Amino acid sequence: MNLADMTKMGFANLWRTKLRSTLTILGVIIGIGALASMVSFGTGMQKNFTDAFKRSDLFTSMNVTPGEINFNELSHGDLSSISNLMNKTPEPLTDSILERIREIKGVAIAFPEETFPGRVKIQHEETSTNIQPFPAHMAEYHPFNELLAGSFYSDDSSKNVIVRWELLHNMGLIVDDPDLNIRLTKEDSINGRQIIPADSIIGKTISITTATINRDLPKNPLGILMNRDFQPFSEVELEYTISGILKRRDEFALFRFRGGVFVPLETARSIPRLNFSSVWDILNKNRKEGAYSSFYVRVNKMEEMTRVREEIENLGVSVFSISDQLAEMKRAFIIIDSLLGAIGTVALIIAGLGIINTMIMSILERTREIGIMKAVGGSENQIKTIFFVEAAFIGLIGGIFGLGLGWLVTRIANLIVKTQLMDFDAPEMDLFYFPIWLILGAIGFSILVSLAAGLYPAIRAARVDPVKALRHD
Amino acid sequence: MDKKIRIKDLTKIYRKGTIEIPALQNVSIEIEPGRFYAIVGKSGCGKSTLLNLIGGLDKPTSGSIYFNGADLAEMSRKDLVIHRRYNVGMIFQSFNLILSQTALENIILPMIFTGIPKRERIAKGKILLEQVGLADRITHIPNELSGGEAQRVAIARAMANEPEVILADEPTGNLDSQTSEEIVNLLVKLNKDKGLTILMVTHDLETAENVSDKIIRLKDGMVI
Repeated sequence: MNLADMTKMGFANLWRTKLRSTLTILGVIIGIGALASMVSFGTGMQKNFTDAFKRSDLFTSMNVTPGEINFNELSHGDLSSISNLMNKTPEPLTDSILERIREIKGVAIAFPEETFPGRVKIQHEETSTNIQPFPAHMAEYHPFNELLAGSFYSDDSSKNVIVRWELLHNMGLIVDDPDLNIRLTKEDSINGRQIIPADSIIGKTISITTATINRDLPKNPLGILMNRDFQPFSEVELEYTISGILKRRDEFALFRFRGGVFVPLETARSIPRLNFSSVWDILNKNRKEGAYSSFYVRVNKMEEMTRVREEIENLGVSVFSISDQLAEMKRAFIIIDSLLGAIGTVALIIAGLGIINTMIMSILERTREIGIMKAVGGSENQIKTIFFVEAAFIGLIGGIFGLGLGWLVTRIANLIVKTQLMDFDAPEMDLFYFPIWLILGAIGFSILVSLAAGLYPAIRAARVDPVKALRHD
Repeated sequence: MDKKIRIKDLTKIYRKGTIEIPALQNVSIEIEPGRFYAIVGKSGCGKSTLLNLIGGLDKPTSGSIYFNGADLAEMSRKDLVIHRRYNVGMIFQSFNLILSQTALENIILPMIFTGIPKRERIAKGKILLEQVGLADRITHIPNELSGGEAQRVAIARAMANEPEVILADEPTGNLDSQTSEEIVNLLVKLNKDKGLTILMVTHDLETAENVSDKIIRLKDGMVI
């Protein structure tokens, strides 16, 4: 008796009781459908998250800050970092530290990460935003490598700047994006705004107005009160050219740079500014010249993170990177996936009970037949196998169609979410994900559960007493 | 090898709850190869039980059945499967064909269990159908066959794995007298032409006397 014979027999037996088999298989289809769509949701969530992280370079970048209390050590009862902090002042982030970081093997780029507030004006539109000094080198990386329009400035002394789509939007300049289906809101229409082509912004002049503390204090502090013309702040207006527009960020993509306008690194040095991230700056006291509050460091490859990180830490500064949280996030996703999987498994277990029920019914009906098989030389194992093949068939068909059902459900759910819950112009996104392991796993699991459900009936069939069975009506 | 079937002190007791029902008591007979035996007796005398025990469908309470020198009473369940496959072919009063399968499929079933390749077993099944005179009934299911035809299919099935012994449990019990005669004649023919040992349980003493070489009479589970 080979597999082809058994398969044929098993299928013929199912075919004989079409309605009952169909209903049983339907139970499995629903179970697998539920399981597959649940797990696919969990996987999709994880994938969207991880993809967003990868796109936003969070796995390859880190933040360097002056030496701080190590909370990790602290939570483990290690107080050495506190005493360290008490004994020595934290290492300031100076240009020399930056140079040393840049020399570390594997570091692709490192620059001070800072923003300062400013007012920007394009034609007659005006708004406030953050100005971020930014190296031209970053043009290589996402999202700066795929601008909506124009091009990234080519060197750090350029007079060109990059603006974000959102900044222009705040100013009432609604720039079209063929990928995003940008539409006007009611408010926009009332204000007479129009969608304008992206190219119309490129080459336009943008003026940036920043404030700085007026250091020319009168010798007599009372003079501040007496001199009505005294302004504690003075403003400077500088003009630049817009060379590129950064694409609109979708809600799920993490974007770590706060700037609304990106200015070449060297050019930015000449812009006077108030750096509120440093209190010392306002008080103009104890500030070490050329010290920054944080550095952005990017490595070439994800694998180099740990080593580069250690080398930077050896310089006496602190490093934070989101990849630290990765393990924890993965754990969270495993829990979510397990919960979703458990709900689906409950459905499948119910389907499994349906299989047991169907097969026991089938055995009761076919008792005589089993007796005949035994009388003409069928062994217990062969009879068991026939019933196992039947169960496996239910599992296989149920698994394949269940996967189809799950896929269909996720498509519908995705469509509903897209049309009902999300902004009409939100970018394309799939909440669900069917990796190959889920597809094969769902079918495999379906067969496995069906076989498990068929175990008891098959053993029962094999144990049928032929003498009684042949007398059976 | 000893070709005789030696049955010694064979006892079979069925238990229903605490009540013991003796079906066979100390039966000792010897079955010579190639001969036609008729087993007669009233219903409940243990005829079918004797056949089931020889056929390896059941195990005796005590005693032994030597078949080709091996005691069925001592055999494992696996060995009994082998015994049923190759040594004996069984025929029943109610035919016991699988109702969802065609005549040919029913005949092929024992050969599926013994692992004969598909092409071979189909060819052999057709030859067997021809031998029992049903060459034109290959694709008919049991419900489309007459009682006589169904029993012929059962006989063909019993011969599928070329056993030495045919165990027929009232093969004519459900048939009219003319069809009964045809079936008995078929069994006689198999006995004469192929040298098969036949053990046929029957109510019909006249037929038994006409066709058999020897009659075994049973009463209340004992040979008389």
